[in-house]
Amino acid sequence: MKKVAKFFNKCSLGGKLSILFLIFLMLMAVFGTIFARHSAFIPSGSAFTAPNSEHFLGTDDLGIDLWAQLCEGAKLSLTIGICSALLSGIAGSFIGIICGYYGGVLDKIVMRISDILIAIPSLPLMIVMGVFFGAAIRNIILVLAIFSWTGPARIARSKVISLKEEKFIKIAESYGGGIFYLTFKHFLPAVFPIVMVSFIRLINRGIVSEASLSFLGLGDPTAKSWGLILNHAISFKAIYFTDFWKWWLVGPFAAITLTVLSIAILARDTEKFLNVKL
Amino acid sequence: MNKEALSIKDLSVTYSTSGYVTQAVKNLSFELERGERLGIIGESGSGKTTTALAIMGLLSSQAKVSGEVTYNGKNLLSLSEEERNCCRWKKIAIVFQNSLDILNPVLTVRAQIAECIDRHLCMSKENTEERVLELLRQVGLDRKWADCYPNQLSGGMRQRVLIAMALSCDPEVLIVDEPTTALDAVAKNDIIALLSRIQKEKNLALIVSSHEMSTIQKLTDKTMVMYMGSVVECGRTKEVIFNPRHPYTRGLINSSTQINCFRDLWGIPQENMSKKAEGCSFYKRCCQSTDKCARLRPPLEKCGEDHCVACNRGGILKLLEGRNIVKSYKIKSGKIAACKNVDLSIHSGEVVALIGESGSGKTTLANILCGMLSKDGGEVLFEGEKIRGFDATRRYDGIQITFQDSFSSIDEHFTVYQVIEEPLRLLKIGTKEERREMVEQALWDVQLPNSEEFYSKKCFMLSGGQRQRVAIARSLIMRPKLLIADEISSMLDPSTQANILRLLKGLQNSKGFSMLYITHDLSLAKKIADRVYIMKNGEIIEEGSALTVFMNPESEYTKRLLKCADL
Repeated sequence: MKKVAKFFNKCSLGGKLSILFLIFLMLMAVFGTIFARHSAFIPSGSAFTAPNSEHFLGTDDLGIDLWAQLCEGAKLSLTIGICSALLSGIAGSFIGIICGYYGGVLDKIVMRISDILIAIPSLPLMIVMGVFFGAAIRNIILVLAIFSWTGPARIARSKVISLKEEKFIKIAESYGGGIFYLTFKHFLPAVFPIVMVSFIRLINRGIVSEASLSFLGLGDPTAKSWGLILNHAISFKAIYFTDFWKWWLVGPFAAITLTVLSIAILARDTEKFLNVKL
Repeated sequence: MNKEALSIKDLSVTYSTSGYVTQAVKNLSFELERGERLGIIGESGSGKTTTALAIMGLLSSQAKVSGEVTYNGKNLLSLSEEERNCCRWKKIAIVFQNSLDILNPVLTVRAQIAECIDRHLCMSKENTEERVLELLRQVGLDRKWADCYPNQLSGGMRQRVLIAMALSCDPEVLIVDEPTTALDAVAKNDIIALLSRIQKEKNLALIVSSHEMSTIQKLTDKTMVMYMGSVVECGRTKEVIFNPRHPYTRGLINSSTQINCFRDLWGIPQENMSKKAEGCSFYKRCCQSTDKCARLRPPLEKCGEDHCVACNRGGILKLLEGRNIVKSYKIKSGKIAACKNVDLSIHSGEVVALIGESGSGKTTLANILCGMLSKDGGEVLFEGEKIRGFDATRRYDGIQITFQDSFSSIDEHFTVYQVIEEPLRLLKIGTKEERREMVEQALWDVQLPNSEEFYSKKCFMLSGGQRQRVAIARSLIMRPKLLIADEISSMLDPSTQANILRLLKGLQNSKGFSMLYITHDLSLAKKIADRVYIMKNGEIIEEGSALTVFMNPESEYTKRLLKCADL
């Protein structure tokens, strides 16, 4: 708890605001749908209601409450972002540590694969795979993780390569320390801070990718994600001739932008904080 | 006349005072021919004086003497007091240890010497007078001192008077007990010169007992080293002093300021009196003792030409031996030979310095010796066994290494406790409580604070010197027999360096491990090393005892190094 407070105090103003916004977003995701006055799936008023006291972000073309939909979207976005980042962060770290420590042929093979994954434009491939495997959330998370592990892996690998030349690793080896011991006692504590920054960035990547897929209409059509709301709104003909865009488009758009911005600022501040030894 | 002047067989002396039995001399045997010079070295209490007195038959009735002291075929011990008295002084004379109360304070020098002559030789008064003055002349004392009282003489003069007394009846065997103790350097030299002159003139059989190495070195041809009443080593004096084979002899030599003139002085660690050993008498203070030494008393065995040692392990052990070690590194433009057929050996309990400029292959060699680096050829033997990989570092009583850079050798995210405990945890040694005790002991050894607060300190908060101590503690917790210290002090300031080195040397002295100290600092090596290896371009170009290498370097390179270092 002390560390959290210390971290908060060390953040810039932007960082503090970001943290507050992200906390708000999480509360929205967890409690928004429970305490929402309206359902995110069933019409609760007339279509195209402008924001008022009943529907304070208005309603869409079907009369469904937009605030409730945004809460639902927050849940989805955060889940996808965090899960994919966790998956790729953890897998990437271990792959990186193993490659860095053992080197040799294994390292060469894995690093070439990661080169390929970095070189391939991920969005088109994701579209293809999304179509291929079906657009369930789980698949999206998996696809995202497959494309994102290379970042943490490279970071972890380079750190381990420099670490394994250090004498304390040699000494631990001389006492019989194996890869398991070295990883958990020596490598992970050193790798963790730098992978942490990468992990936060990956959350962003997950959120943006999911929004892009949904926006293009390739996401899970039944899920209420921010990208899908935008997709619906844009595909409504002549939306810009009406006033509807002011609440139908701006809401999800702002949600995506602010979330991504906050996480980016948070990542920057974390990096600064972790540079000083914990 | 029998050529064999004095022969001693199985001489044992036991003092029993008020029920407390001390065996002062145990089964001592030696032979001494006319003209031979024998030295007896040992710490005080090792039985030197008792031996001398036993030969003279001057021990008090509390001492029980057994064995044989044969002189010209007669066993002196079986003679009656009267017969013995006849032999004593006329055949065998003793120069007592110099002290004020050895001479009668109310007799003049003249009367004192005359007394001996009167007792043993029947001479007229004039002859006695003449003889006294002759003796004074022989020992280089002016005749004006003849009428002085002992308290008016200096220590050196008293020693001369004592010698004159011993010579009064023209003995064939002269026993000299501590002739030079408590004398200044000039007087010491004079006495030594005097004794050797007289020995030559009269062709005496000389026994010199002393704890002063230099006296023995100058006065004797053969030497016996005594410890707790038994002989632990004997041989030619030169051989014994420059190539000691018993740890005790080496300890004595290293404590001698004349022979060990550069290094710090460290005595032989005091014995731990808690255990009463039946086996080897030196067991408790020995740095290479095994269980066998506690049970078995080693006999005096030949270990070279005219050189015997009493040790269950055959003398000072060769702890580590590197044979023909070859290692080269590949670089783009070819190969760099870091070690070219390096041979190196380290004996138990000694500090060996490996000196060389940077890039000479020192660190490569150290890493090969402890198994951190694979070698291209050759072999490393530890206690006679070939070692492969980390064999020697993964056990107690093995090899440990401490590196130059304490920032690299310690994971800075670890707490002090975690760092020191690491080897124990990895090797699954002991329970949690036992480990804690061992860590406490290790921290105590390296003089770091032993508090909970210090235990949980992260290592990046420590200074370089503290870190180096922590690294040393981690090595010591494995109770190494050989500690390889790779430039451990080169990154430290002079004061910290001095502290660490003293600490390490102190630990080395008390725990008895050997040390391979790798350095480019010659003055430092001179201060700590027993033996020195000089390395250049992957080859050992000179090796030898520190004294020889620093005083009379052979190779040009060593000479240049010494010149550069202003030594």
